[in-house]
Formats: sequence, C-alpha cells, structure tokens
Amino acid sequence: MSAEEKFDVIVVGGGPAGLSAGYFLAKKGFEVVVLERGEDIGTKNMFGGRIYSHVFDKYYPGWRDEAPVERWVRRERFTILCKEGSISLQYIPGQDVGEYDSFTAFLSKFLKWMAVVAESEGALVLPGVKVDKILLEDGYASGVLAGGDRLTADYIVVAEGINTLLVEELGLKGRPRPESLGVGVKEVFKLGRDAISRRFGIGDGEGVAEFLIGYPINKYGAGGFVYTMDEYVSIGAVMKIGNVYKSENNVMDLAEDLRSHPYIKSLVEGGTIVEYSAHMVGEGWGSILERPYGDGLLVVGDAAGTLVNTGFTVRGVDYAVESSRLAADVIEESHGAGDRSSAFLSRYKNYLDSSVIGRSLRRFRKVPEVLSLDRLHTTYIDLICDVLSGVYTVGEETPSLKESIDRGRRGRVSIFRMILDLFTLWRSL
Amino acid sequence: MEYLSVEKRLSLVRFNIHSEPHIKVDTSKCIDCDYKPCVKACPAGLFTLDDEGRLHFNYEGCFECGTCRVVCPEEAIEWRYPPGGFGVSLRFG
Repeated sequence: MSAEEKFDVIVVGGGPAGLSAGYFLAKKGFEVVVLERGEDIGTKNMFGGRIYSHVFDKYYPGWRDEAPVERWVRRERFTILCKEGSISLQYIPGQDVGEYDSFTAFLSKFLKWMAVVAESEGALVLPGVKVDKILLEDGYASGVLAGGDRLTADYIVVAEGINTLLVEELGLKGRPRPESLGVGVKEVFKLGRDAISRRFGIGDGEGVAEFLIGYPINKYGAGGFVYTMDEYVSIGAVMKIGNVYKSENNVMDLAEDLRSHPYIKSLVEGGTIVEYSAHMVGEGWGSILERPYGDGLLVVGDAAGTLVNTGFTVRGVDYAVESSRLAADVIEESHGAGDRSSAFLSRYKNYLDSSVIGRSLRRFRKVPEVLSLDRLHTTYIDLICDVLSGVYTVGEETPSLKESIDRGRRGRVSIFRMILDLFTLWRSL
Repeated sequence: MEYLSVEKRLSLVRFNIHSEPHIKVDTSKCIDCDYKPCVKACPAGLFTLDDEGRLHFNYEGCFECGTCRVVCPEEAIEWRYPPGGFGVSLRFG
C-alpha cells in the first residue's frame, strides 16, 4: 500500500457487516476497500453458530452451492437443565421451512467465503490492517489512519463490531454499560460426522440448534446453546456482563460449569476439545444507535446495535448483512445527490427503523429483560424439574399431575405470582 | 470429559503475541476498587490478585472481547486492539 490511497468507500472491519458492505458497494460500482485487523479474514470473529438464510437467498445468488455451510438446521431443541436430569422439547418442521431456513457455520470459514464473493465483485479486502483512527476534515470523515498508512475516501463505513472503540471516539455512543452487553463463551469439540448424526438423531447435512437454560449456568443468569457442525459440536453460554457484580462466579468457569452437567457431558462424550473462545454479545440489551451516521460516515452491524434476541432466536449475522445493504443504498443515493452530509445520511436511521431490524427490535424489546428474570432461571426451573420427576418417578402409586405441581410449587412461588409471570412472559414474546 | 483449567483451554488457542501490551491497567485506580469485577469478568482469567490484594494483568491469552473495559467501574483500563495481524487468531469462531 502506498503512503496515501484514495477510495470511494473505506469499510472498517471484515466481519459479516463489513464484508457484506464491501460486496453491496462493489456491486454498485464503488471503489471499496475492506480493512480487517485479523491476520486472516475470520480470525477475530466468534458467534454461537447459526445463520438465517433469507439475506443470502435475497442478495447472494448461487450461494447455496458455494458457501461453507456446516449443517442445515432441521431440529430446534429447547432443553431445561435440571440439577441432575434434563427436559428437552424438540421441534421438527413438518414441511419445507422456506424463508425461515437457517444453517450452522463457523464464522472463521464463512467469512473467508464472504470475502471471496466481495472480491469477485471488485472489492479490495485487506486483512492484517488495523484502523487506529478515523480522520475528519471540516467535520467530514475523510479517511483512516492504519498502522503508519493514511487512506482517504469519500465515505467511511464503520463495521468494527460490538466492541465499539471507534464509534465511541466519534461521539456517536457513550461508554457501554455492563447492563447493555453480554459476554459469550464457546467450546468446540471434534466428534466426527457419523457420531454427530447418530448422537443427535439427524441425517447427513442436517443439524440441531439447541437453546439451554437451567443448572448450573443459572447462577450466572446465563443461557446456553448447542450447535451441530459437520464434524464438530459447538457448546457455549451467554450472560449479561452486569451479572458479574451479582454473582460469586468467574466468567472463565462458565464453560467449565456448563460442560460438567450430565446432559452436556453425554453430548461431548468421546470428543476432543479443539478450541475455547470468548466474545461480547449485543443480546439486544442495547438498541440501534440514535445516530448511526455522521458527515460522510455510516455505522453497520453490531457496532450499530442491529442484533435482535427474540427469545427463541438470535438474529446476528442476517441483520448485520441487512443493515449493510441499507447503508450501501444510502451511500448510492447520497453519491447521486452529491450530498454526504449527516443531514442527508440520516435517512439511513429511518431505513433501519422501518426495516425488519427495527420492527423486530420494537416487537421483542422486552425479551432480554424478561429472560434475565431470576425466577425464570431458578424457581421455575426447579418447579418444572420437580413436577416431571414427580410424574415419571413411579413407585407402587403414581402421583397425579396436580399433586406433583402442588408439591413442586410449595414454598417457592404463589399461584398468583405464577400467573403474573406467565402474563409478563406472554406479553413479551 | 475431565476438568480443563483455563490455562489448558487457552493452550488450544493460537495467539500471535505482540511485544507491546494492547491493554494497560492503571492499578493505582484499583486500590480503592473494592469489588474488582475485572478479576471475575475476564473469560481468560487474565486479571489476578496477589496475596496483598494487588491487581495483576497479563495481556497474553487475551480474546480481545472487551468485557474488562465495560465492567471496570474506575475506568482504569486503557483498551486498544493489538496491531494488525497480532493477537488472538481463532479457527472455530
């Protein structure tokens, strides 16, 4: 790279948002460079393991034949981890899942494919380049400082991810609060293709997406996940960072504690752990930035707060891609109008708000709060575990369901409280 | 599967360590911090206390998640990313 190079657009960050921004902009004919600080694309990114297909079906023609999909999700499981046993609910879609299709992936691999696609449209993707500063000229974003190099552009797209150092420095966001962010940990186990298909009761290429709640991760107020990959199983948990102040637990023990549960043990039995990792999560405790734009500048993906947790599903990658599509549209309109002021670019916020991202954020805004209710993680877990163990632990006489519920509930929670909580839960979902 | 210490789990991860720490802690601000949440919040267990209760930090083995910066009530942590190409390098992220 020469000492100074001029582009139409510089994208800061080569994750799902940044690489799709590069793709959309290059497709529109812009000269665009995507700068990624990792030594290779995908080496700094981490997520649970599921991506919803709709955005790729819409914007990446032919992607199903090329993208490194691990397995197509054909089983949705919800598992309550009791003190010892567990309760699982499994949903098998009876028909074609159509636009609700999703698949498992490793971002490390998937992003390398996204980079190749962006490059094939003419974008320049440069790994190993960290942006230290966004340069302003008369208040307008005019370029970046990366290592010793200075790059200039008409537009800067910030796709730096959930750890919003640049966005905060630009004054678009205050210091992040521990209550508005989560921390996620993940362990990946090598099990082999056949062993996974047998253990999870799925066919070749079919996958399981599983949500976990209960022991022993409830002391962290955490929720867990299991995703089957082609030859690997990814298992992890996410907790609100603010919970660190409340609990006596170390985040570094969260994965260890989860793995110690008999149910999880049985899933990874005979496997070899190949990696442990951690990442912050936007979990929807925050929301879209009030101003995801500036003069000559737009913010996309996690950095803009586009992740939505609906309680049953977490929309990260797909909504990040959707936000980049909107940003690319706005840049095209702005370029056409010859106006890159924040007044013009502010329409990006309107586009976000009226898009599927904004609609979901509004519809599910209460979910993260309800899901972090202490009673949900402790009292109700104990209650439902006791009820089922009461019904199924059969001696000479079988207790009735009502007797089991009454026994499970006694001293823990009143009927009135239960009805109130159910009502709150119902309204939020 | 047997118990895996955080050190053992970190040994599975590839780190390309730069000689200059990317995170600096102004430990003078930690003296009045009773709770020291960074010690419990770091998923790699990189913040430790010695026998006298003084805070120590090792930047090697950092996932660059940023949790310590968010959780620190004293704003004692100067947090940057390592230079391009350095730091954690995940294979199964």
